[in-house]
Amino acid sequence: MAWFTDRHCFLLAVACYGVATVYSLFLWRRGFRRDEWANYLMVAAGVALHTLAMAKRGMTLQSCPVNNLYEATTFLLWALGLACLAYSLLPRFKFLCAFTTPVLFTVGVFALMPSLDPPHGPKPEFSGALRSLHAATILQAYGAFGLAAVAAGMFLMQQHDLKFHKLRALLSLLPSMQRLELITFRLVAVGFVLLTIGLAAGSQLPRQDGKPYLFDIKVIWSMLLWVVYLESLVAYKILGRASRRIAVMAIIAFAFLLLTFGLTNRFSPLHQDNPLPTTNSVASVTGSPLGTRHPSPVTRQ
Amino acid sequence: MSVVVIGLSHRSAPVGLRERFAFAESSIPDALQKLRESGLVTEGVVLSTCNRVEIYAATALAPDGAFFARVKKFLVEHHAYDGTLGDELYTFAEPHSLHHLFKVASGLDSMVIGETEIFGQLKAAYELAFTHKHTSARLNKAFQRAFNVAKHIRTETNIQRGSVSVMSAAVELAEKIFTTLAEHEVLVIGAGETSEKTARALQSRGVNKITVTNRSPERAAALAAELGGRSVPFEQWPEEFERVDIAISSTAATHHILDRATLEPLMRRRRHRPLLLVDIAVPRDIDPAVGTLDNVYLYNVDDLQSIAGEYLKLRHEEAARCEKIIAQKVAALLAANQHPAMAGHQ
Repeated sequence: MAWFTDRHCFLLAVACYGVATVYSLFLWRRGFRRDEWANYLMVAAGVALHTLAMAKRGMTLQSCPVNNLYEATTFLLWALGLACLAYSLLPRFKFLCAFTTPVLFTVGVFALMPSLDPPHGPKPEFSGALRSLHAATILQAYGAFGLAAVAAGMFLMQQHDLKFHKLRALLSLLPSMQRLELITFRLVAVGFVLLTIGLAAGSQLPRQDGKPYLFDIKVIWSMLLWVVYLESLVAYKILGRASRRIAVMAIIAFAFLLLTFGLTNRFSPLHQDNPLPTTNSVASVTGSPLGTRHPSPVTRQ
Repeated sequence: MSVVVIGLSHRSAPVGLRERFAFAESSIPDALQKLRESGLVTEGVVLSTCNRVEIYAATALAPDGAFFARVKKFLVEHHAYDGTLGDELYTFAEPHSLHHLFKVASGLDSMVIGETEIFGQLKAAYELAFTHKHTSARLNKAFQRAFNVAKHIRTETNIQRGSVSVMSAAVELAEKIFTTLAEHEVLVIGAGETSEKTARALQSRGVNKITVTNRSPERAAALAAELGGRSVPFEQWPEEFERVDIAISSTAATHHILDRATLEPLMRRRRHRPLLLVDIAVPRDIDPAVGTLDNVYLYNVDDLQSIAGEYLKLRHEEAARCEKIIAQKVAALLAANQHPAMAGHQ
């Protein structure tokens, strides 16, 4: 079974998300009328395989697997999938999976592109815990923002159906608009807190000389997201902005996040895959497009 | 021993005839006693509601034409009916009698298909007969199975889903917008019967703050007292919009009493909280342009009737599924009766 790598595992997870996406289309066409577990179980199977893929990669690396764009994307999707499974257990929230699977599937297919998972270079020698905290909290924040966008999508659909007297609004087993609005707000708030912690942890990470934290494109991009989400929270809670506008913002902001996430990583000197050459470690890289593309932990004394 | 049914319902007889054959609850035990003493049946249950009068019985006699003619004669004599009877009185022997019993218990034979009131009425009728020892093994088993089938159908199918009246459609809409109705205030504009019924339907789902307004302050106060709410002068009701989240309008006004220009500034004061407007007046009280405002959900009587109609259509579609389930359950019960040893495996 040595040939069965973490990428194979992730491929199977994406396949589960794909099947769930097709099934979601069917549920959507049927108007989300029957309360059922099939979609939930498909996503659960996907998340289980996804977890296995990440665990395999993490155990090989001996650290949190967030070292390149592939790993970061899979971590983000994992956070999104896990949060989706948890929230789906709330009354009338089972169809959250149906709205989340298209995101899990499309971004999962994107993550599988071999160019996103280049062979790792040597690892920088700084606190693994702090780096893991930085990457994990930020990616979990993106997961929360993703789920907020999904809940916002459900909210907008419900609002449209009720506004234009579509019978689907009554027939579907979806939560009330007020509940969807609350969940969207809470997820944005949770994501915002996690993003704040992640950015604060990132500012404490050691950097190469001449690489200022605040002028890095990825940091600027993250700060921009931070400001956008903060503005939304303040506008909603304090200024009383209409919930529809908050929902639209949650979707636009997450779409922007997904579309520009890889790009900013690529142009960020602080987030390059081979950031710091070290004197005492070297990696030998092996792997096919689906094989493990991380260094063997060979240390040269 | 087999189960038989004889009776008349809204499907076969007009209300004038149904009321002639209706049983007062207090007279049912005696009527069943007389029926059993006649030697026609050994067990019996009388179901008497506004939509049906039926006798469910177990008999050792052959349930043929002669048998039913004798039961029919008993009914006619018991009610001292001197008119003529044609097809109004229907009769069923097994397996159709069991099929009918299961259908009645599941609300499939009701005027509003899928309604659940009949389940309670059938249960009460059975308990009355059981308490007075007019039932035994055969009917006990048939009724218990009927109640189980009705529960099964309720949980496994959508026969009960949706609102089939204007009032309940309004309540369902409110529940799609607001998570719990208890936190939201309702404004009733016009103290008419329909708005009262809608307000009561909302109250039954948790609404506990109701404000009533009417051109006649006395009627407003009277309805408010009945609903446990408060009344406000008719000239002041727009000011209430800052607090209320649901408004039911049913006045006799010949023009729109609420238009977009009036509501727009009020929505800003409400900080864009969602507002459900139910306009059940004809002519309409609320200008349709109000519905174009953000966070305003406007439904008129036609919209609500269309929802109720669609639900009824869906229930009729679902009835086919229920019939299949009933056919299976009847076959299982008949098989269990023929092979009692297998009954525990059904």
